[in-house]
Amino acid sequence: MPLSSGEIESIKRILGRDPRPEELAMFEAQWSEHCSYKSSRKLLKLLPTKNDYVILGPGRDAPAVEVFPGISVVFKIESHNHPSAVDPYNGAATGIGGIVRDILTLGAKPIALLDLLYLGNPSNSHANWLIRGIVKGISDYGNRIGVPTVAGDTWFDDIFNKQPLVNVACVGIASNNKLVLEGPKPGDAIVIIGNATGRDGILGSSFASKPLSEDTDKEIGAVQVGDPLTEKVLIDVLQELTSKSLVKYIKDLGGGGLTTAVSESAADYGLGATIHLNKLHLREQLTPLEMLISESQERMLLAVEPKKLSEVINILNRYDLTYSIIGHFDDSGRVRVYYKGKLVADVPAKELARPQALRRDSRPPQEALKGLTPIVRLPKVDLGDAIVKLISSPNIASKRWIYEQYDHEVGIRTVIKPGHGDAAVLRILDDSRRGIAVKGDANPRYTSLDPFNGAANSVAECFRNLVSVNSTPLAIVDELNAGNPEKPEQFWYFEEMVKGIAWMSSELGLPVVGGKVSFYNEDEKGRQIKPTATIVGIGRVDDISKSTGLALNETNNYIAVVGITYPELGGSEYLYRVHGLELGEIPRPRPASEIRHAEFIKHLVSRGIAVSVHDVSIGGLVIAAIEMAIAGGLGIELHVDRIPTRGTERIDEVLFSETQARYIVEIKASRVTEFKELTREYGIESNVIGKVLSKEVIVITNGNEDITTLGLPDIANLYNNSLKKLMEW
Amino acid sequence: MHKVAIIKFPGTNCDEDVLWVTKYVVGLDANIVWYKDFSLNTWDAIIIPGGFSFGDWLRAGAIAARTRAIEELSKVLDYGIPVLGICNGFQVLVEAGLLPGALLPNESGKFICRWVRVKVERPRGPWLRLVNDGDVLDMPIAHAEGRYYVDEDTYNSLVVKSPLLRYVNGYNFNGSSYDIAGVATLDGLVLGLMPHPERASEDVMAPKGFKANGKVIFESLARSLKEGW
Amino acid sequence: MLIFMVEAIITNKRSVRDPEGETIHKFLVLRRGYNSVKGIRTGKYLLFNVEASNPDDALSKVKEICEKLRIYNPVVHDIEVRLRA
Repeated sequence: MPLSSGEIESIKRILGRDPRPEELAMFEAQWSEHCSYKSSRKLLKLLPTKNDYVILGPGRDAPAVEVFPGISVVFKIESHNHPSAVDPYNGAATGIGGIVRDILTLGAKPIALLDLLYLGNPSNSHANWLIRGIVKGISDYGNRIGVPTVAGDTWFDDIFNKQPLVNVACVGIASNNKLVLEGPKPGDAIVIIGNATGRDGILGSSFASKPLSEDTDKEIGAVQVGDPLTEKVLIDVLQELTSKSLVKYIKDLGGGGLTTAVSESAADYGLGATIHLNKLHLREQLTPLEMLISESQERMLLAVEPKKLSEVINILNRYDLTYSIIGHFDDSGRVRVYYKGKLVADVPAKELARPQALRRDSRPPQEALKGLTPIVRLPKVDLGDAIVKLISSPNIASKRWIYEQYDHEVGIRTVIKPGHGDAAVLRILDDSRRGIAVKGDANPRYTSLDPFNGAANSVAECFRNLVSVNSTPLAIVDELNAGNPEKPEQFWYFEEMVKGIAWMSSELGLPVVGGKVSFYNEDEKGRQIKPTATIVGIGRVDDISKSTGLALNETNNYIAVVGITYPELGGSEYLYRVHGLELGEIPRPRPASEIRHAEFIKHLVSRGIAVSVHDVSIGGLVIAAIEMAIAGGLGIELHVDRIPTRGTERIDEVLFSETQARYIVEIKASRVTEFKELTREYGIESNVIGKVLSKEVIVITNGNEDITTLGLPDIANLYNNSLKKLMEW
Repeated sequence: MHKVAIIKFPGTNCDEDVLWVTKYVVGLDANIVWYKDFSLNTWDAIIIPGGFSFGDWLRAGAIAARTRAIEELSKVLDYGIPVLGICNGFQVLVEAGLLPGALLPNESGKFICRWVRVKVERPRGPWLRLVNDGDVLDMPIAHAEGRYYVDEDTYNSLVVKSPLLRYVNGYNFNGSSYDIAGVATLDGLVLGLMPHPERASEDVMAPKGFKANGKVIFESLARSLKEGW
Repeated sequence: MLIFMVEAIITNKRSVRDPEGETIHKFLVLRRGYNSVKGIRTGKYLLFNVEASNPDDALSKVKEICEKLRIYNPVVHDIEVRLRA
């Protein structure tokens, strides 16, 4: 977004004169929405960010959370929505590049990636093209850098046909004593390492701060091409530099390029910097202005003590990683930029780095009433047919078409792999059995109907997924994808989502240690996408051999549900897929139950009573049970009359409601009495509702009445192949 | 102690995985060696691990095969030093002409990451010493250019007499000719395979329905270095 | 109606990076001493076997196909469509 006249006046005041063109460009790059969070900073202060084990909260390029004594996890989420809409392959690929580099800035080793994709309808040819490009971009880049993509979330909706949401997250690990947490000091050399700077991505951040134009061909200046080979070399080089403690401070050159990297580094530590642009290694001839704002990929900034410089250079040369020493930090508080001896910019670091936050107006739109519309008189449908429709729904069906394109095994840490559990579980890879769990979740339908509760539910779903694999949820990061913040009726959704996350994460004791915001996700007609709150969470796994997957294990084991089912079909996948409706009150968040049930699940698993666990989310209870059957290759019988409910009047309400805080667990046959005693002892609403069968069928009854019988192989086939059929028509 | 070199190129990404298994799981003395520093006569065995050397640009393994390190390696047959090429390593070995055939893009045109089952035929040499003819091994594949191709004449005159790993029925996901997942020189000294044995060397890493028996390849090497083969 | 062989060559636009070309140039060609090669760009080559009434018709058919089916991405690629010599 070009600067407003008010902002230009501010700049004149700050400088005490008219700005030079280079200085104006620097302010535009830095103050654009993407870099500086003008619209969101005030609201984001609502989020709880602290806890005993949060070593570094929001503020730096990535946060750090201690998971085991002396070992921390560094993780972050980012979006690349606008570039992916224009060039899906490179947009998604460079998204991966950027998020990995953020993890590298703390000296952590990236060990996992997550892709959280909110995509259009595969039957729409433009959306199909975008989906293929996005997945291939993530695949080609992530695979090449040797970081496994271990988990994700995917959603398909027509609203995303032209404006997909591409959120990516990266998890890194480090020993606390190797984390690079300090800041630069006056006298430290500024070394730019990685790819040479070129004309790509000029004003890329500015591009992400406005709605897409009709003619996407004009957006070419903003397109950046990823180079995973250089990224991998960056990873290797930084591993070596940090293991030898040769660098003081690391920063990524991302949005806003050199301008942002230098101004934020200086401002964060009360310093200034002097840089000589003619020393920067270039790919092609550029003007000083272009050098300041280019967003060429795979570049990082290092602050190096002068006495360590020659050792650093030796290592860079060994790896054939190009670099340039462009200046040094000082205590002037100003960023002074020279080109061939001539001063081309002289700006105060703090004012450049931190523009004024804006208070945006917010107003609920007429649309919001859809979230209050009661659901009346739904026609009765054949429940077997409904199940088939749901299991083949792209939002529910197996995502293997996507994740088999990702190397999810490299690094030999992935103990629970995609499709096998509710969250990915990675081992630490030392001689212990310790590990971490990670998962990401969002539900655009919920947040578009009720942004507050919808966002709260996404936090809860992430929490449940971490609990299901027997981990202790520790912290989350969030990505808020919203419309135009200058339109009060779109900004309202953003505001409500933030409040929902703040509330639920507080209730669950989960600090929100970092996050990002992506605004301006609207089309050329001004229509916003479904606002989406993406939550990525990590959990601590004390013993990876005790992680629970979701596949049923043994015939004759029992199937139980933990948690009561309420009639909550509002905003459900069933309501949409089978009845074509997207309205109603979405399921209530239930934080108290989430905590009680998580405790209970933990006890069941640690005592070996529950041998597989799956949380209930979209599609409801019956879909969760069927997914477990498909994964295990074993049949099930379910008794609807044994499902604990309150207020339900119809069977579809029981089977398909997306009531929160529920899990399906497989109880070892020999331990079922213990299970029943424990539910009484813990005061949990829970019941045994069925059994694992040796015959490959799904049998659902209600008392004496047969509801439906389905063949497992057919259902499994639909589940496993639906997405492929939709994508490859 | 016998020393194993794990050659690393820019873009190699399975070097640390192979180091973990050779050193900590099997107990060999192994080191990651940067390709510029590689010299043949210091080592008792060489492993070229998986990854995307030089970005897999041009063709997978094509640029690495033309480095001085791999040219050095070509003399290995004279010295009788065992060489193992895993995935990208296999691609480098065929590009360098040390193993017959070629590795082309998967039939589906897509990268595939899945566990597979392979059957070993005519096990010979240091890498398959502890494997019996007909043994079935489970390991994961993860590649975009894993479709093995060899012309009929070479197949009939050479490959059918060499130690082979073939995808078991239903597990050939990349369209490899003759279901070939891996092949060795006639004496088994140089072995290349697309599946990753280092990812199948610990029970905890095997998913439901599969066993982690890739370890046998590294154990075979350890035994062979001690006792000959 | 005649059969024409039409070539479609897809390359990155000049302003868009070509890391593949750069890597082949730097790590393969220059490393082996071929300093006379000043640059390499890569692309994708398709050979169309197309039925048309005359050469211009064949060319325009192929151009249309490449546009409509997004065989190349006009945002980042250039395309050269020509008759095979």
